[in-house]
Amino acid sequence: MPDGPLIVQSDKSILLEVEHPQSGDARRAIAPFAELERAPEHVHTYRLTNLGLWNARAAGHDAEQVVDTLMAYSRYPVPHALLIDVAETMGRYGRLTLAAHPTHGLVLESTDAAVLAEVLKSKRTKGLVGDRIDDTTVAVHPSERGNLKQALVKLGWPAEDLAGYVDGEKHPITLSPTTKPVHPGEEASDWEPRPYQAQAVDGFWHGGSGVVVLPCGAGKTIVGAGAMAKSGTTTLILVTNTVSARQWRDELIRRTSLTEDEIGEYSGARKEIKPVTIATYQVLTTRRKGVYTHLELLDARDWGLVVYDEVHLLPAPIFRMTADLQARRRLGLTATLVREDGREDEVFSLIGPKRYDAPWKDIEAQGYIAPADCVEVRLTLPEHERMVYATAEPEDKYRLAACAPGKNRVVERLVAQHPDDQVLVIGQYIDQLTELAEHLDAPLITGATTVRERQKLFGAFRSGEISRLVVSKVANFSIDLPEASVAIQVSGSFGSRQEEAQRLGRVMRPKQDGRTAHFYAVVARDTVDQDFAAHRQRFLAEQGYAYRIVDAEELDGAK
Amino acid sequence: MAGSYTEWVRTRTEDELLALLAARPDLGTPAPSTLRSLAARAASRTSLDRALGHLDAGTLQVLEALLALSHDGDPVDADRVAAALGAPEAGAAVGRVLDTARTAALVWDEGQGVRPAPGLDEVLGPYPAGLGPARDAAVPTASPDDLPPGARPILDALAWGPPVGVVPPPGTAPRQAVDELVEAGLLVRSDARHVLLPRDVGLALRGGRTHRAPDLAPPRPTGREVPRAGADAESAVAALETVRQVARLITAWDDGPPSVLRAGGLGVRDLRRTAALLETEEATAAFVVELAASAGLVSDDGEAPASYVPTTKADVWEETDDAGRWAWLAAAWRTSRRTPWQVGSRDEKGALRAPLSPELHRPWVPRLRAQVLDVLAAQPGTALDADDVLAVLRWHSPRTVPPEAALAGLLREASLLGVTGAGALSSPGHALAASSPSTEPVAAPDADLARALRAVLPAEVDEVLLQGDLTGIVPGRPSPALARLLDQAADVESRGAATTVRFSTTSVTRALDHGRSGAELLAELSARSPVPVPQALEYLVKDTARRHEAVRVGSATSYVRSADPTALAGLVEDPRLAGLGLVRLAPTVLAAAVPAAELHDVLRDRGLLSGLEGPDGRPLGPVRRTVRLERAAWSRRPAAAVRDTTAEARTALVARLRGTAPSADAAPDGGTPARVSASPGEVPSSTGAAVGQGANQPGDALALLHDALREGRTVLIEMVGGSGTLVRRELKPMRLDGGRLRALDPQREAELTIAVHRIASVEPLD
Repeated sequence: MPDGPLIVQSDKSILLEVEHPQSGDARRAIAPFAELERAPEHVHTYRLTNLGLWNARAAGHDAEQVVDTLMAYSRYPVPHALLIDVAETMGRYGRLTLAAHPTHGLVLESTDAAVLAEVLKSKRTKGLVGDRIDDTTVAVHPSERGNLKQALVKLGWPAEDLAGYVDGEKHPITLSPTTKPVHPGEEASDWEPRPYQAQAVDGFWHGGSGVVVLPCGAGKTIVGAGAMAKSGTTTLILVTNTVSARQWRDELIRRTSLTEDEIGEYSGARKEIKPVTIATYQVLTTRRKGVYTHLELLDARDWGLVVYDEVHLLPAPIFRMTADLQARRRLGLTATLVREDGREDEVFSLIGPKRYDAPWKDIEAQGYIAPADCVEVRLTLPEHERMVYATAEPEDKYRLAACAPGKNRVVERLVAQHPDDQVLVIGQYIDQLTELAEHLDAPLITGATTVRERQKLFGAFRSGEISRLVVSKVANFSIDLPEASVAIQVSGSFGSRQEEAQRLGRVMRPKQDGRTAHFYAVVARDTVDQDFAAHRQRFLAEQGYAYRIVDAEELDGAK
Repeated sequence: MAGSYTEWVRTRTEDELLALLAARPDLGTPAPSTLRSLAARAASRTSLDRALGHLDAGTLQVLEALLALSHDGDPVDADRVAAALGAPEAGAAVGRVLDTARTAALVWDEGQGVRPAPGLDEVLGPYPAGLGPARDAAVPTASPDDLPPGARPILDALAWGPPVGVVPPPGTAPRQAVDELVEAGLLVRSDARHVLLPRDVGLALRGGRTHRAPDLAPPRPTGREVPRAGADAESAVAALETVRQVARLITAWDDGPPSVLRAGGLGVRDLRRTAALLETEEATAAFVVELAASAGLVSDDGEAPASYVPTTKADVWEETDDAGRWAWLAAAWRTSRRTPWQVGSRDEKGALRAPLSPELHRPWVPRLRAQVLDVLAAQPGTALDADDVLAVLRWHSPRTVPPEAALAGLLREASLLGVTGAGALSSPGHALAASSPSTEPVAAPDADLARALRAVLPAEVDEVLLQGDLTGIVPGRPSPALARLLDQAADVESRGAATTVRFSTTSVTRALDHGRSGAELLAELSARSPVPVPQALEYLVKDTARRHEAVRVGSATSYVRSADPTALAGLVEDPRLAGLGLVRLAPTVLAAAVPAAELHDVLRDRGLLSGLEGPDGRPLGPVRRTVRLERAAWSRRPAAAVRDTTAEARTALVARLRGTAPSADAAPDGGTPARVSASPGEVPSSTGAAVGQGANQPGDALALLHDALREGRTVLIEMVGGSGTLVRRELKPMRLDGGRLRALDPQREAELTIAVHRIASVEPLD
């Protein structure tokens, strides 16, 4: 096809022209194997990566399909070397399989004796495998199942894990068609999972273990609940923090047959082990005298399913523990596979391949998440502050710029522009936030605020009792504030891209009146603050959220 | 046996001799003195070796078969050879092969059938086609069919050669079988430990065939099928990339010329720097550097210390369009004798081979390149790898197989240059293969080649799609103007069928450095973008421009400053000081365009007292601008003398040879050698003039000795005696090997051994 919507570059990037009449078809066709890298207005960039191609193989696509798709939609002839590379890379997946052997137990099998010989010769697999059974089979210590998979991915020969899972302890869970009120004032209503959530659950269950990628606010908890209902076993849920743990609990009680007595919380505050246990990463990674004190939780029950919330934040020790959990079904939930530390391959090998993915804009177009308007407000610093900034030590520069006093006035003005909205002000530095809270006469939540106090304030914010809330980075993740429609970010943790995405996620739950969400980033002009902001915004700009830039001075004019 | 090879050569016509010299140029240099010595030389081992080196597998097979069939030099006809090859229907083809071989005097004929040239048996080895020695037909042999059990496998094992078998230890069953076979005359004991399968038995076992299968046509490797469009598209991408890299190299070496190593060539560090600059690995960088040098675009400036700098030709090159630039490079590559693929390997002394070093000069490269292009052109639309090409070349010259590394290197260069795309010859590649290589250094692009490339280049696009994430996409090949703009204002993220660029503070700053203002840049971008310039980009450009203008740097040769503004008042406006180029930077500072000393003097003259500043009062050094050289590409040394045999030289030689030949033919005894005065038995007095006509070329002497050996004739040998004087003896050669000649002196009836290096000349006597 000489006039297709795709341009395939030899550096393995694929450009998709959005306005092309076939762009929709092409997007669907390449989505299974190409990672969306950027999705700005006109031309989206996808990339072929080894992991992406292996994910596609795991999902049952073969190299021929990939090659045909590329050739069918490409505007120019596809570079030959790339096609060969695709076929070669995809051919590597599944050449090795982990299987349960009737007499030898867990074994690593290969269709190709040479490949097996190659990986066994490597230093990385030393000590992970047992006796050679024959030319194409080698025994594997069950305890090394995860480590071996990790090593094999590093060697470029990912193994397909067909060894199956333990059934786990049965514990019937069903999704209830009517919500159960959890908070006073809440009313029961009918609901059912959204089509994409149901697809995600099916995709995961079919694949055995793996990761579901959904944007913030798209209802990942429900995917988790759906997976638990499918599994019908005891479940361990790992989440980022206590507030998030409580939200999981509320959501599970609301939408499933589970009762409060069946759900336990295992956190710094409470150590309950129940058929469904929600634990925080923090408590699991707590060490005393070099020993992980809460490891026994992992074996406390015969878990049939392990759910990882926010997979892209999994701390390194959890990866190591996960390596020992390979016999249990694992579900990873995340908004993005991008990790600032680049450990995507460990997610792939230890939790599993990507099983479902839906781009933000698609879900937004279906009306499941609120459309958002992103604005960067650039504040020109006054003369004396610029002088202070220019002469400051490099390590102080970001804090100086991020906490510029001028930002307070900007925030005030922005808040004034949204008198009827629920406004969140998010920042990094406690001093700055304290000052802002005083200015706005709004309550402040930081790491120092007790969980009870936090719950109370979030509850009040949710019910509309208070309409302004100043929060530190504790609110970055998994806090469900459905009615927040305006977020103002005054400072962030340097250039973290996923933090920006998470913060935008705070305001993206669909609003009852279909209102547009607003996300403001206040940035000091000509400083490192601006550079970091540019880096942070990259992820969202690539996801198609174009930032509008407004000069702080213009806010006055607009008023 | 009627006639002889020598006789045959001597009776060739003028045209036939010309054809012979054209087919085997080495026969003409140094010029043989007589037709006899020409014949001797044509049958000599050295010359035959050289001639066979260029023959293809088919011709060699035919010659082997001929040799195997021609018992004792008997004539054989083409059909018999074809049948022996197992291709009875190919008689005509074999005939053509034999005709060509006859032109080169590798075979000769007399009436019916052809005979192998003497000496061919030696060059083709003792067992042509794996067949054992011939023997007289008179030896009685048993039929191979009534044999004891256990004997047949022995014959079968030896049937297809090599025909030599080791005798099994005594007392074993195989030994008994071997003994019986020897008894029956089917095997011959060659020495105590070996047996030989005689030629007639071998042929019988093979059913009269000399070869299992005919190999008369070159192989056609299957390769991988590549659509023409695919090959062309990839070739266009590669061609543009190489052109871009050469252009980059020229710009970079203009700014900072790398120095020439003492032994010649580019140092490791400079190569690494160049590779980084070209965003490629060192092997490719070495190729680009060599290509630019072959095209005459960069050269050694010849100064001390020497550096590599762009030449004036680079100016012309830079003014041509992409296709023209490519055509220039491709034509230069076609005739280049350089082997850049050896860069990074070590020579015999363990020294690293550097790009541009004289070490990398190999005269055979153009010929091999032409062969590779021919192989690729013979199979259009097929991607061939080095092994495939090697298989074909091995057929074409099995006795001189090209080195694999060179082949792989040439194929890689072809793909880098876009001569091949996806491994198959592309349309521009076909054009290059069809063009006639010029020996002149390239000085202008070849219009046909340029047209061929232009036809496959993607359409030029003059638009860039600007996006909110500060990227821009050119959905095709950027037009030169657009490319220049993006080169300055953005960084390329991905190149290929489309180009992706990213704008950043750094890249925008670069554009501003090139003298564009922020507003101009935005205007240009919006003129070239089908969509409005995104706000984020607009802010980026405006903010960068604002900062760019806030601090300014300029150059001044000297300055005047004073704490008192009034002291400087009126200086800038003074017409008498206009020559100083004074500019007011601030009320208290003026910049000047002349050296401080001059400024100081002029101001003194005007009556302004000033003091000189600075540690030594010297102005800043002027910016060094390298001067481009007028220099040819690689100095092309004339090719080796053997290849230089022009048609005229050959004609002159033949005329001279034939000028002497008729007088020899006219001599009463027929076939008198060069020394006309010599009559048998009489040793002529040696004069200085006579010696010059003799076979005083060492090669000729040996050839004449071989000739004499074969024909059992007596020759007149002039040799250096023990006391250092020349001694002439009439001798009959018996054996020649290991640098020694054993010969019989018929007059003294004594045998003597002479070291070959002592032989000064040989003259045939008959």
